[in-house]
Amino acid sequence: MDRRYLLKNSLALGGLVGLGGCATPPRAPAAKAAPNVPIEDRVPPLAPIRAHTDRLFDIKVCIRPFRTKGPNLDVEQIGDAMVLHNYGHGGSGWSLSWGSANMAVQKAMSASPKQIAVIGCGIIGLTSAITAQRAGAQVTIYARELLPRTRSVRANGSWTPDSRISLAAEAPANFGATWEEMARMSWKTLRSYLGLPGNPVTFTDHYRLSDTPFGQPVPPDPSIPPLPPPTWAGAPTQESDFGTYADRIGDLTPKSQVLTDDNNPFPVKHVSRTTQMFFNFTEYGQLLMSNFYAAGGKIVMRDFHTPGELADLPEKVIINCPGYAAHDWWKDKAMVPVRGQTGWLIPQPEVNYAMTYRNVQILSKSDGIMVIALEHGDLKGYNDSDESVRRAESERAVRVIEELYSRFPSVPA
Amino acid sequence: MIKTLKGSVMRHKLILVLMACAAASGARAGTWNGVYTDAQAERGSVQFQQHCARCHGANLAGTFETPPLVGRFMPYWSGATLDTLFDYIATAMPLGSPGSLSRAANADILAFILKANNFPAGAKELSGDSEELKAIRFDAVRPPPETAPKPSRKKNAKRK
Repeated sequence: MDRRYLLKNSLALGGLVGLGGCATPPRAPAAKAAPNVPIEDRVPPLAPIRAHTDRLFDIKVCIRPFRTKGPNLDVEQIGDAMVLHNYGHGGSGWSLSWGSANMAVQKAMSASPKQIAVIGCGIIGLTSAITAQRAGAQVTIYARELLPRTRSVRANGSWTPDSRISLAAEAPANFGATWEEMARMSWKTLRSYLGLPGNPVTFTDHYRLSDTPFGQPVPPDPSIPPLPPPTWAGAPTQESDFGTYADRIGDLTPKSQVLTDDNNPFPVKHVSRTTQMFFNFTEYGQLLMSNFYAAGGKIVMRDFHTPGELADLPEKVIINCPGYAAHDWWKDKAMVPVRGQTGWLIPQPEVNYAMTYRNVQILSKSDGIMVIALEHGDLKGYNDSDESVRRAESERAVRVIEELYSRFPSVPA
Repeated sequence: MIKTLKGSVMRHKLILVLMACAAASGARAGTWNGVYTDAQAERGSVQFQQHCARCHGANLAGTFETPPLVGRFMPYWSGATLDTLFDYIATAMPLGSPGSLSRAANADILAFILKANNFPAGAKELSGDSEELKAIRFDAVRPPPETAPKPSRKKNAKRK
């Protein structure tokens, strides 16, 4: 153990002594910041994460509703019903939901309907329904599942507005502008959910840890099996095949800040920090459901099997938000399943940060500490519709974090 | 609302008429008429445990994330003809490798699902042929037997 850690350890002990009989658990030490690190930029004490595989109390698997051409926002006539599609948001549904809903509802209201039907009760369906209510319509949601049992709640749930949102070569030329409009409208709407009890929407610091200097290629991890080659023409083979649009809204989010050695509490050489928005599923989901009911919203549990069934609904303006179900229900060939898995460690309210290290992402939420294996980046899970749990993957990710904390100095009881 | 109710009543009348016609012609009108065999459901059970039980559970009860194939399965899938459900199974399932099972295997699995939902077995196997499946209505409730006497209005009034 080098002198730096001992210094940190003594700082941590000081912190504990200062807390007296308080029940707050021990915290990893704050770095001993040099005077030239501005006080507001110094890393605060960070509570350690109890990263052990036996604390994995849930593992969730979802299929991202990825659409190679970007989300389907087309208008279609089914019988005498006007159907406004709103599906195919890939890994960006939670982020883009309000903006996408706004676009769909604007088109819907052009017919001046008194009643609107919304198909699906994931995050896209629910935000579409609430947006339609706010536009003055009476809304009925038709869904086979409700939050929290929809695939939405098996996602990451962070502000990731251009995560697997299109294939660059297949998205329409104007999609960047559409995306930007969606993202900015969502961002504005999400502000009204900040600061509420339970923090349905909130921000956290995110530390990126690297054993090698940033910008240099990371050596492959021999314990991670290589990705099998794609099985059909047109499949993405590199991350740059996906559409990226984040630069268009670079003014909304803080830049990444590299931490100097004297401001780095981690036993890892290279660390940067940014601050990101994320969603607490329980609080946010329940709040949206309550908002929907409070505005007179009705829910009908129903499964649809053919597009023609929509013509039988009493509402003649229908916002269609089926998520991945569009793959089979609407036979949308542009829909590609992209599997994602999140492991959940028992919640630790005292942990108030996110972290990425050795292809593992950790994010402390109110309903658990989310652990995601990130190896292979955006190519991971592409065209994989297997929703069964792969526990070994989550356990491996937990062990990476467990090993990281084992390198912190121990704090005596 | 009135219009909807009226439409609904008319649809039901139409369904009853169609069912009566099908029964008269000897066609297998609905899932209550024995549209699969016990032996087929037995084969389907083996296929189900191999390809479907991992997600839907050995007892078809589903999980928090996976839909059950009993219970609310009935309102979700009944009311159409059986080809709708068959096509979904054949093209979308098993979720991890959709469309990988033969039509015969899917027909067996569907027979097993029907049995699990208490539909009676019959003498003829369920076919994987779309046209034949299209002729079979998936009724949630057993239709009243043709020969059953109509309850008199007087009797109904008495119950009230």
